[in-house]
Amino acid sequence: MSDFYIYLSNITVPMLQGMVITLSVFAVTIVCSLPLGFMFTLMARSRIAPVKSFAKGYIYVVRGTPLLLQIMFVYFGLPLLPVVGDYLVFERFTAACIAFCMNYAAYFAEIFRGGLLAIDKGQYEAAKVLGLTKIETMTRVVIPQMIRVCLPAISNETITLVKDTALVTVIGVAEILHYAKTSVNRDGDTFAFLVAGALYLLINFVITMVFKKLENKYEF
Amino acid sequence: MEIIKVNQLNKSFGNNHVLKDISFTVNKGDVMAIIGSSGSGKSTLLRCLIDLEKADSGDIIMEGKPLLKDGVYPSAPEIRTIIMKMGMVFQHFNLFPHLTVRQNLELAPKVVKKEEVVAMNTRAEAYLNKVGLLDRIDAMPSTLSGGEKQRVAIARALMMNPDILLFDEPTSALDPELTGEVLSVMQSLANEHMTMVVVTHEMGFAREVANKVVFMDSGTILEEGTPEDIFIHPKEKRTQAFLSSILRDQKKKAPKKYRLKKYC
Repeated sequence: MSDFYIYLSNITVPMLQGMVITLSVFAVTIVCSLPLGFMFTLMARSRIAPVKSFAKGYIYVVRGTPLLLQIMFVYFGLPLLPVVGDYLVFERFTAACIAFCMNYAAYFAEIFRGGLLAIDKGQYEAAKVLGLTKIETMTRVVIPQMIRVCLPAISNETITLVKDTALVTVIGVAEILHYAKTSVNRDGDTFAFLVAGALYLLINFVITMVFKKLENKYEF
Repeated sequence: MEIIKVNQLNKSFGNNHVLKDISFTVNKGDVMAIIGSSGSGKSTLLRCLIDLEKADSGDIIMEGKPLLKDGVYPSAPEIRTIIMKMGMVFQHFNLFPHLTVRQNLELAPKVVKKEEVVAMNTRAEAYLNKVGLLDRIDAMPSTLSGGEKQRVAIARALMMNPDILLFDEPTSALDPELTGEVLSVMQSLANEHMTMVVVTHEMGFAREVANKVVFMDSGTILEEGTPEDIFIHPKEKRTQAFLSSILRDQKKKAPKKYRLKKYC
């Protein structure tokens, strides 16, 4: 019995180190891609045609290609570009974060677009006749309501993000799955995969709880 | 004293010419009711007055300042200063659903006028008391009835101290038994000589509260005058036909009671 616990701790301790990396990729992505995504939403609604088509094209390309491919492109592909390539050489972790932020920004942009569509035109009119400027209308009236509408979809996307972080093993970032695979290959025992799965479940359990709280807070 | 002067106003949506050479004036303290069948351009006219729609040509002069002069609008900040002198009440209330009643009232004074908190709180309470809803000050709009929402919307408009209040079919989205409470608030405002322009299907209100009635038909002002001119001695055939059809409809409904005392 004690042999089992020793083995369990032997494989789990490195995986917990990996979990720190997983959570870091996750945190960087959430913090950067939400505002970036909202920026793309606004750009896609812009009256300036080039801005609008850039944002729409960006969303189309990023959503239309595999995330795995994008991660490899940022890490292996960008340095090979002519002229600018030399400046686009990134650390593994940085490359992973860049790919994730760019990818999730496109999805969040679409979620926010849906949220804005749900807001009645009368809200903008009421704000206008009360004398609020366009920016005040956005920050005081539109965005708080948009967040409420978007929360379930953002929660869904966030859970997907946690699981997607496993993809960064492809460029050798040492996160949970990386250590699990090492253990499995070394010991010839797939038990480490179960532990890895439990760790992902644990993270998502916490995230689900947090979003439940947020949804209650924004209820109206 | 002229407070609103509209001259030769035109507005089209594509090929649809909705306002044709509209001209009228509103004096300070007037209550003007705009009546007419749907699609006659009443709401579009009202929305042009507060820049929710852009007119194509003509003049709109508000308190001596041009909102529109020969079909040309002034700069955005100038427009904003002019429309801030006006308040508007919408058919569908358009309260901010994520804010409490108090926050709905205080948002614009706080953000736009940077008003001091204590004075603003007192005014919010006073206006809610005036519309009979002081006890709902911390309620969320979703918990209010239609009539209560509309009374909050009126209080919210009053918080900006408007010189003119515009009402776009304020009772059309309400259950018949709830219209009285909104109309009585409007009547009390009229008694205090608030200048109001009201697009309405409530002939009783137009007749008893308004001092000026405008009948619109397919984008033109067909007839205007005192309530007596319009309701008792209508000149135009179209006005007579409209009035007899709408009065016939309203007789079928249960008679409405204005509960003036309770809310004023």
